[in-house]
Amino acid sequence: MVPPTIAQQLAAKQREISVAEFFERNRQILGFDNLQRALLTTVKEAVDNGLDAAEDAGILPELTVEITRESEDRYRVSVADNGPGILRKEIPNVFARLLYGSRFHQNRQARGQQGIGISAAVLYANLTTARPARITSKVEEEEAAHVLELSIDTKKNLPLVLSDDLELWDRPHGTRVELVVKARYLRGRQSALEYLRGTAIVNPHARIVLVEPDGTRVTFERATTDPPVSPKETLPHPYGLELGELGYLLKATHRPSVVEFLTKDLQGVSSRTAREVLAAIGVRPTANPSSISGEAQARLLEGLHGASLIAPSAEGLSPIGATLIKRGLRNVLGELRPEFFAPPVSRPPKVRGGFPFMVEVGLVYGGGLPSDQAIQILRFANRVPLLFQQGACAITNAIASMDWRRYGLDQKGGSGLPVGPMLVLVHVASTKIPFTSEAKEAIAEDPELDKELTLALQSAARHLRTHLSRKSRREFASDKFAIIQKILPKLAEKTSHLVGKPVPDLTPVVTRIMDVVNVEGSLVSDAAGVRIPVEVTNYTPRARVLEMFVEVPPEEMALARFDPAPDGTEPELGRAWWTLPKLAPNGKTRLTLTFPPKTDVEANDLDWYVAGIDEAHVLGADPLPGDWDVRLPRTIVEAAEQAATEGAAGTAEGEGDEEVDYDAAEAGTHTAEDE
Amino acid sequence: MPPKRARTPPKTSEEDSDQPKIRADALAPTLDLAQQIYAQLANGEIPRMRLPLRTKQNITFQPREGVWKLGRALGTRSARKLDGALMLLRTFYLVDFINEMSRDQKTSTLRELYYISEGWEEGKFHSEDESNLLIEDLEVMCERLREEFRVHPEENGASVIGDLTIKERNRKGIVKKINCRDDVGDGGYSLPFNVEKEKIEFVSSNAKFVIAIECGGMFDRLAENGFDEDQNAVLVHLKGQPARSTRRFLKRMTEELKLPVVVFTDGDPWSFRIFASVAFGAIKTAHLSHYLATPSAEFLGVTASDIENYELPSDSLTDQDIRALQAELTDPRFATAEWRAEIELMLKNGKKAEQQSLAKYGLNYVTDRYLPDKLREMGVL
Repeated sequence: MVPPTIAQQLAAKQREISVAEFFERNRQILGFDNLQRALLTTVKEAVDNGLDAAEDAGILPELTVEITRESEDRYRVSVADNGPGILRKEIPNVFARLLYGSRFHQNRQARGQQGIGISAAVLYANLTTARPARITSKVEEEEAAHVLELSIDTKKNLPLVLSDDLELWDRPHGTRVELVVKARYLRGRQSALEYLRGTAIVNPHARIVLVEPDGTRVTFERATTDPPVSPKETLPHPYGLELGELGYLLKATHRPSVVEFLTKDLQGVSSRTAREVLAAIGVRPTANPSSISGEAQARLLEGLHGASLIAPSAEGLSPIGATLIKRGLRNVLGELRPEFFAPPVSRPPKVRGGFPFMVEVGLVYGGGLPSDQAIQILRFANRVPLLFQQGACAITNAIASMDWRRYGLDQKGGSGLPVGPMLVLVHVASTKIPFTSEAKEAIAEDPELDKELTLALQSAARHLRTHLSRKSRREFASDKFAIIQKILPKLAEKTSHLVGKPVPDLTPVVTRIMDVVNVEGSLVSDAAGVRIPVEVTNYTPRARVLEMFVEVPPEEMALARFDPAPDGTEPELGRAWWTLPKLAPNGKTRLTLTFPPKTDVEANDLDWYVAGIDEAHVLGADPLPGDWDVRLPRTIVEAAEQAATEGAAGTAEGEGDEEVDYDAAEAGTHTAEDE
Repeated sequence: MPPKRARTPPKTSEEDSDQPKIRADALAPTLDLAQQIYAQLANGEIPRMRLPLRTKQNITFQPREGVWKLGRALGTRSARKLDGALMLLRTFYLVDFINEMSRDQKTSTLRELYYISEGWEEGKFHSEDESNLLIEDLEVMCERLREEFRVHPEENGASVIGDLTIKERNRKGIVKKINCRDDVGDGGYSLPFNVEKEKIEFVSSNAKFVIAIECGGMFDRLAENGFDEDQNAVLVHLKGQPARSTRRFLKRMTEELKLPVVVFTDGDPWSFRIFASVAFGAIKTAHLSHYLATPSAEFLGVTASDIENYELPSDSLTDQDIRALQAELTDPRFATAEWRAEIELMLKNGKKAEQQSLAKYGLNYVTDRYLPDKLREMGVL
């Protein structure tokens, strides 16, 4: 007998790796490497599936996540969605077969992509508790729900159906997954609660209910009924193509010619560019795509990479959008009563390596957020919260490498995570997110991405700085108002009484103490509409001629009515302005903006600017920015010039600052000194 | 204009300089303050007052009287700032209250004054510190004593034991003659808050010196051991930081009975301050130093070197102690070679000790050995 060749010997050792082995070797990648994480991954996979199912069918998602404890380290995880349901024949493959899915070949932003997710959770349940997955699913056309118990044949990677029943389910359609897994349930930063909180923030169109093992029920109500714009499926762009993928596409295409393939199956390639590239590599435009040799494929890809192509389309992206970020944060963080929600930043889409991406940032400050700890970071990739590996993530690094002291936060040495009552939400959307590993828990460093992250964060941080400086001005102002409104009148009354004379007119003293023009808006919302009256009071010792400007979100501008009528407007920019009547010391006037009932607008959404006075003498409005390009009346220009010269000369009342403040000096001696 | 410097009371001769009387014009200066602020308001000026700063940086030594008094640095209390505006408002609630008391022939304790301010709305005091400070401000501005404003501290009853005979006019107006050794119980004679001549007169004393003691335990030890009789001493219990009446009483004993005063305290930074307020005058009441301070008083101990020499049980200095000592190094009252050396030695050794730690050597050691040794060293015995 001829001894087997080495090749034959090796061949004998080769066998198909079972999915169980695959699972064991990739536990970390799949997210099941410890008990706490295993629970979270199970919830996450089922929730992602549920959200995707509902969204794809144009249904506002409604999820119920129930976690119950079966024994010391066994938990039952049940996730029910209101999606369209799954046809009976598809159920086993969807839940009990790895690498089976409808999304694997799509070129668009999606939560899960590999087709491993939910079946990995089913496999984990099989392996750790030997309990089958119980799937309940009902489609609208059928009267009853199918209830299947499934496990996975780990040798063949095929579903095993253990039972198959029909059951009445009191909902028109939907799917419920129940798994019993070995796990540990913990509260805290990396918990199911936090994961669902994050999910609720970036999916404000979803209603999510969590029932924890101890029976605690947490509901994240829907904050909007507008579904997110479903990302369009886009064609692959040559910049993001690998050679193998190009070969696959050339084989699979139905296009008769290579030029048609290039212009119709790929994006960004014009007919002219296609012909130029083909001419350069010596391939006829009419050649059959499947006839292109491997060597020609390499030259073709090289040629395409070198050609000037139209940038990849961002239509495959699904950003959350400024409005929904704001609503989502308000909805979920509302109970903490934060003092400031920065206008969310949504950067325009950019491209890296053939894939479009974009960065969005939301920032919340104050209220019940802890002020003595590092800021909180909520990271999202394609609308999925990232809970692990925060320190290794490009998002965290972008935050830590900014000098937040410039924006009013505490930060040791100007780098690292700043300390303060702040929460930052960062969302990276892309058809291909550069994760640090297949575990998809942290985003890798990338120069293009870092640049966008930094720009978005800076933009949000600038809003924070404005808020904080306004706040300190307000506090300063509130002291002054306390003096003039409460203390001074009493002081005058007391001293007048003691000397037996009438109370003098306090206007000159009031204006000397305040020495500002105060602009203060309030908001009245009722059936008649949303009214924002703004009072301008001249608390300075002399008469003022002022020009007031307001900037309204342009989409609200068309709805606004102004009283009095503005002297000029620029509706497409949301701007309007008035020349105010001359204000004597202590004189005031009022401007009112009225919006239709229930308009989603706040007093804070309006930015007020003023001209005709220097910055130091105004509260509640900023100097008119240089780029407004408004022609100011002559009186205002003169007033502004006068104010500028006065500002340069220093205020006449400045002498007080050089004196020692008796009450501040004395504060230093409040020690346990003598009696 | 408010006064540049406090002089309370204005003196005519050396003799009666220390006899403030309730003066008929006591309330007039408070009305002057109201007049001053009213005029500013009527002129459209931001109301303000200028007061001498009662800080460590603004006390100066008066060689003629041998005490530390307020310097010339002025601060401004202005309605431009919230704190200043509040203090101005309180000033006139207080002036109003004082005038009301005067009309009704009432007096008030400092603590009562603090509670009275409950009715002052925005002007309400946030702590008794604030009301005490304001009364002192008013003393400075009006050049009067708080008693003239009908405000006085609670009786704090500092105790005296020793061969000292006084006459006290009691609350019924009857003059009682009291010997502070033979006519009192073990608690001693309790000082009233008013120790001026119209209340207390010295009759006679056979004592040779006065020993002012920080802690009650040590005061009791000396009394029980008969130190006052054995050494012909008057024992005065300071009760920690001494009240004005205690300091005033010490000064009168020195001046009228020509008795030297020695101060016996714990050996720690806070005790140094107790001595300083007895001998040099306190910073916060520097406007009254000439009336309250006893410049001839001497520090007996416990000194930093006593802790070493007597091997006294000690504690380590806390961070707060160290900061207090360092602050004393910049305090002009301690800017003598002796005090500097004492403070630096304590900092160097890093130790402090209580007076009662002398009990290490038995209950009689303090009266049999320590005090006689120290007093001989000081030339008192």
